[in-house]
Amino acid sequence: MSANEGGPVLAAHEIVAGYLPGVDVLRGCSIEVRPGELVGVIGPNGAGKSTLAKAVFGLLRIRTGTVRLHGEDVTNRPAHELVRRGVGYVPQLANVFPALTVEENLRMGVYLRPRTYARRAAALEELFPVLADRRKQKAGSMSGGERQMLAMARALMMEPQVLLLDEPSAGLSPVFQDQVFDRVKEINGAGVAVLMVEQNARRCLQICDRGYVLDQGRNAYTGPGPDLLHDQKVIDLYLGTLARVR
Amino acid sequence: MRHQRLFVPVLALFLVTAPAVTASAQGEAVLGAPGFGARALQALVDGIQFGAIIAITAVGLSLIFGTIHLINFAHGELVTIGATFAFFLNVSPAGPGWHLIPAAIAAVAFGALLGGAIDRGLWRPLRARGTGMINLFIATIGLSLLLRHVVLVLYGARPGSYAQYDIQSAIDLGPVGITPRDLTVTLLSVLVLLGIAALLQRTRIGTAIRAVSVNRDLAEASGIDVQRVVLVVWMLGGALAALGGVFFGLVEIVTWDMGFKLLLLMFAGIILGGLGSAYGAMAGSLVIGIVAQMSTLWFPVDLQYAWALLALIVVLLIRPQGILGRRERVG
Repeated sequence: MSANEGGPVLAAHEIVAGYLPGVDVLRGCSIEVRPGELVGVIGPNGAGKSTLAKAVFGLLRIRTGTVRLHGEDVTNRPAHELVRRGVGYVPQLANVFPALTVEENLRMGVYLRPRTYARRAAALEELFPVLADRRKQKAGSMSGGERQMLAMARALMMEPQVLLLDEPSAGLSPVFQDQVFDRVKEINGAGVAVLMVEQNARRCLQICDRGYVLDQGRNAYTGPGPDLLHDQKVIDLYLGTLARVR
Repeated sequence: MRHQRLFVPVLALFLVTAPAVTASAQGEAVLGAPGFGARALQALVDGIQFGAIIAITAVGLSLIFGTIHLINFAHGELVTIGATFAFFLNVSPAGPGWHLIPAAIAAVAFGALLGGAIDRGLWRPLRARGTGMINLFIATIGLSLLLRHVVLVLYGARPGSYAQYDIQSAIDLGPVGITPRDLTVTLLSVLVLLGIAALLQRTRIGTAIRAVSVNRDLAEASGIDVQRVVLVVWMLGGALAALGGVFFGLVEIVTWDMGFKLLLLMFAGIILGGLGSAYGAMAGSLVIGIVAQMSTLWFPVDLQYAWALLALIVVLLIRPQGILGRRERVG
């Protein structure tokens, strides 16, 4: 770790990856997350945002390129190994075990360190009070927003140093979206570096320190979140007419 | 899930056309008894025994489907290999002539190793290459044919019986007669099924197996080594298949294609119970076994598998997701 002092927590360099043989979804994509940063990745549908999160987390094989965690090469290491090394991941939609209760889902979060359950659950129920009242409720019976809270709590049970969020606001009502972004900001405020892939570009850029705009599997633009929000090229490419109207 | 919807009708169609091939697999008729009630009770006991043996083998098949969504057509051969390996150790002049009990234990261990070796040597590399589910399914058919004919060459076409517990007198338990062998096999089968349930519900690896079955990526994200879990499931499936093979060979007869004949009923059991659910596989297999035996009260023994498979179709018409399967939205 000392070799990487001051360097990024997580760095992906020139990633090429895809699902089908011979078809690349990511075509040389690079990102960096520095300690304590909240980094957003936006882009149009099919740009490769979720694919990037999966590839970085080891759920999708990287064809070329490297992923470094604290400077150490973790390219194509299995996801469970990254969890052990301090990376948390929240998938996009199927992000809880629906047949399990809230408590059981949180226990799954500390599968590698079951003895830490009580301490971590108590800490996270402060951040997500809705979970404290619903410990015995089946996750499948919760609303989309509540499930997203549970999913984030599960990922935080292992006290990750960096958290990957795959479109946390997808499918949520505006009210729940706001709650999710507030929680993400709080998590980041507590010192956890966050890489958030997000389809709600405006809200994402509003809260993130830096943003990456992906287009067709490549980095299109990079910069501080608020700057990208008002960047004419980003507006033309992705934010579109709605941004001009506002 | 898309594959699941595709395979259910295909397999159901296959199963209803198969009874003609498989009808002669079980030769013994229910022992004669004076009244219908006594005969029905006898058939029920025989059905539970038969269903429990199917369940032991089907649970592994179901767990494999649940964790990697692979329809393993070669699972029947794991049953046959277990039975014939025990036969080699127990009866074959070329074998060591062990008693059946250590021979069965060795066969179960061999089944576990074989299941693990098949996963590590074949399925894991294919999965890593991103081979499609249909291709994998066809590969299991190829593996099934290969293994079955290797057994034919090594074991031969002649049916055989184990050296111990072959011929026994039935004990009368009221209206029901059962041999000590069959009673032991039934009780052991039920104990094994309860053991599997306890493993799934109360152990760390059981929790991991259930998590991988529900959501593989989420299980990985929870720190579970999915490849290791899949290996354990294959070893467990191989061991259970071998044990079921020894039990089936014990109460019936050891033949080179016994597992393939049982495979149809395993599929019927897991589809009836709900694809991917271990408990569904147990429940479905018991129903299949009981219906098969109870049908002999009214119809010829040669048709008993056909009735069991008809029960599968009727249940699926009423409850498409199977007995313990979850409803899924289509589209």
